[in-house]
Amino acid sequence: MWSDALNAPRARDGKAPDVLHQGGWVEMREYRDTEEVDFVIVGTGAGGGTLAARLAEQGFSVVAMDAGGWFRPIEEFASDETAQEMIYWNDHRVTDGANPLTMGGNNSGKAIGGSTVHYAMVALRFRPEWFKSRTLLGYGADWPIDWREMWHWYAEAERQLSIAGPLSYPWGPKRGRYPFRAHELNGAAKLLAEGAQKTGIEWTETPLATLSAPYRDANGTSPPCVYRGFCRFGCSTNAKRSSLTVFIPRALAAGAEVRDLAMVGKIETGPDGRATGVHYHRDGEWRFQKAKNVIVAGYAVETPRLLLNSANDRFPDGLANSSGLVGKNLMTQSNSAVWGRMDTPVRSYKGPPSLAISEHWNYDDNNDFHGGYLWLGQGPMPIEWAGVLTGAKGLWGDALREEMRDYNHMVGVKMVGETLPNEANRVTLADDVDQYGLKVARITFSYGDNDKAMIDHALQQMRASIDAVDASDIFDQPDDNCHLGGTIRMGDDPTTSVVNADGRSWDIPNLWVCDGSLFPTVGGVNPSLTIYALALRMADRIGEMSKRGELYRCRM
Amino acid sequence: MTRIARLIAIAATTALTLSKKRQLQRSPAATGALVGQSRTIVTAARRLNRASGMIAGSVLIDSAMEHYRGNFSNRAMWTPLATAAMTIGASAHGLGDRQHGAHTVRDTIYSTAGAVGLVGTAFHIYNITKQVGGLSWQNLFYAAPLGAPAAITLSGITGFLAERVRHNRPGTPELIFGYPAGQVVAGGTALSLLATSAEAGLLHFRGAFHNPAMLLPVTMPPISAALLLRAALTGSAGRMTTYFVGATAAMGLAGVVFHAYGVSRNKGGFKNWRQTLFAGPPLPAPPSFTGLALAGLSALSLIRRARRG
Repeated sequence: MWSDALNAPRARDGKAPDVLHQGGWVEMREYRDTEEVDFVIVGTGAGGGTLAARLAEQGFSVVAMDAGGWFRPIEEFASDETAQEMIYWNDHRVTDGANPLTMGGNNSGKAIGGSTVHYAMVALRFRPEWFKSRTLLGYGADWPIDWREMWHWYAEAERQLSIAGPLSYPWGPKRGRYPFRAHELNGAAKLLAEGAQKTGIEWTETPLATLSAPYRDANGTSPPCVYRGFCRFGCSTNAKRSSLTVFIPRALAAGAEVRDLAMVGKIETGPDGRATGVHYHRDGEWRFQKAKNVIVAGYAVETPRLLLNSANDRFPDGLANSSGLVGKNLMTQSNSAVWGRMDTPVRSYKGPPSLAISEHWNYDDNNDFHGGYLWLGQGPMPIEWAGVLTGAKGLWGDALREEMRDYNHMVGVKMVGETLPNEANRVTLADDVDQYGLKVARITFSYGDNDKAMIDHALQQMRASIDAVDASDIFDQPDDNCHLGGTIRMGDDPTTSVVNADGRSWDIPNLWVCDGSLFPTVGGVNPSLTIYALALRMADRIGEMSKRGELYRCRM
Repeated sequence: MTRIARLIAIAATTALTLSKKRQLQRSPAATGALVGQSRTIVTAARRLNRASGMIAGSVLIDSAMEHYRGNFSNRAMWTPLATAAMTIGASAHGLGDRQHGAHTVRDTIYSTAGAVGLVGTAFHIYNITKQVGGLSWQNLFYAAPLGAPAAITLSGITGFLAERVRHNRPGTPELIFGYPAGQVVAGGTALSLLATSAEAGLLHFRGAFHNPAMLLPVTMPPISAALLLRAALTGSAGRMTTYFVGATAAMGLAGVVFHAYGVSRNKGGFKNWRQTLFAGPPLPAPPSFTGLALAGLSALSLIRRARRG
């Protein structure tokens, strides 16, 4: 039963769950708490899981920890929206600001594999100009990494994740062929395509991290996608290519230890100001793991929360915070939608929810707002759909029930829109404490005028697209948000950023960050592939630095 | 069934009636000095009947499965089943027939199969172009497969050639429309192999050639086709040609095993056969190569026979 995964740690006594085989276990190397490992990694999602694999494969001793449970997808993931809430980070948080963010399924995972266990698998590259958005486009902040270098790591991430994508991508510089072919479009995707064609904008098949053909490597096999449609509630076939199914098995095979149900509460620093390890809660007690390097990969809320919760006499404002920027510049991506009703059934819930995409407005600069957005086909599950009808149309009772009868006929497109960094949008510590006794995050967010202008523009354009396919009863869902970014900005200058291009703290050289919180700007694309790419790059950089003796007491 | 199937049945009955006239021209195998050549002609023709039946068998099962998957949403989707079934019948009849002379009913059925395949291809092209995106990779991969109906045409052509070979008189050079029969069949088979290989290539590309064995149907048949084309043009063929064409025949059968393995790699494997047989690689498709290769082997024996005089 999945509840077992939450009752007691599964990875122990030298073995860990083998998620690629039913009931399987794999051997796992274990380290004592007193053993000073090369790297302790906090979080096992697109950043942490990828790093755990790549660092262990280079011979470093690695312990990766995650507050969530170690689920077995093929045995434990149900076609049940409510039951699957277990994979989201639904712990207590305080949200405020003019537009309090919706947290949970859209942006926070709590499981081995992190948010990649429930992500929609949309695997997109940034537009090259976004890496220099301040210089080239006049907004936000420049990234400290050149787009050409990122292009290399994107390709590498796509290869390792066996991304299934179109043979030619309509936007941006030429890219190599995706490892696997694009999936068949479902009803919702075909309508997105038709709407795009009729309104004169380009569309394509969405590059997705789910297999369109069988896959096998040394750790096991995965079947191609069966188009079950519960991707965002946990893929039960392992066709989804996530940190859980790709990088965690590799990390274990390479000798990393991965600890489930291990909540890291504080990073300890020594007399020299360097990190010495992490305090973590597991098996009902607080423990301390010694480490030469600490990498935080908890995403844009939990990462700054941990750094702030780790404040001590030497670092009273939290770790790595000499710039005062830890937690600031929180960004989300606007996720407004337009829905309509088709006369013929669409059955949009079949298959991955976002099989078709238009990035047209990410590559058009002739607007009265900065940044860009895309839209994707949608396939909400029934309870989710009821939530849309309740939230956007205010339906309840009989009216809601009647409208739900049209579930098979609904069609919609949803934006993923860039919001601009703003120091007033931030993660701080609230006075409330969670079940571990740790101060919870206060998440303050308000849309700026630019963000609102973009949402208005997107709603108008999406409405035109839904209207073009002759949908009726068209309505907007203006208020929704999804992915996060910012809060631990990477940059070239210690006064205007928290970490450098390698995710290394300017203040504490053996403290690193690797997740979406690094993003100086979030762009108008889903962030997971960029996080994977950053993690692959960072692992490579750490290997190089180690060879040159530039790592603290850690040399290969 | 359908109006189309009934029309085909009426056409077949009419042909049977007309065939009585042609039947008179048909004769038992010759005697005396012509026995050897007579046997060769009939044997070559029967081999071609068998090849045609093999391809039709592949089409029958494949189209039955795929069109069942498509809910037979268009009545015309029954057509390949009826046509392929009749082609199998004609081929079985031809295989058991040891007489000289083309058989009108078989000829009619084979011709019908050839035409149905062309119409089917037009249907499939229409299906592709009416999808959003039109003639795109997405639709070439996932809409009605462009190459599938052509297989029934190839079956019909092979059977038609079988009848042409059989129509030669003992004591005269084996000709088809005035050209050496072996060379004509070799040329036709070569082109058919190339077309079928292109179809396999498209669908294996869709599967990203994830298994190296998926490269076999896009390498071996084209080599065999090249060797057969050379044989068609030069009127001679070496052992290498026979080996490759024979290996292609074997590959077609091995392909069923490979495809079974592919089915097993889909979620649930054969325990979940009601889904995986349709989601996985089609089990009946690869024997098309066997059918064509058998036609190729028949052509090679005719070529060698012609060369020996």
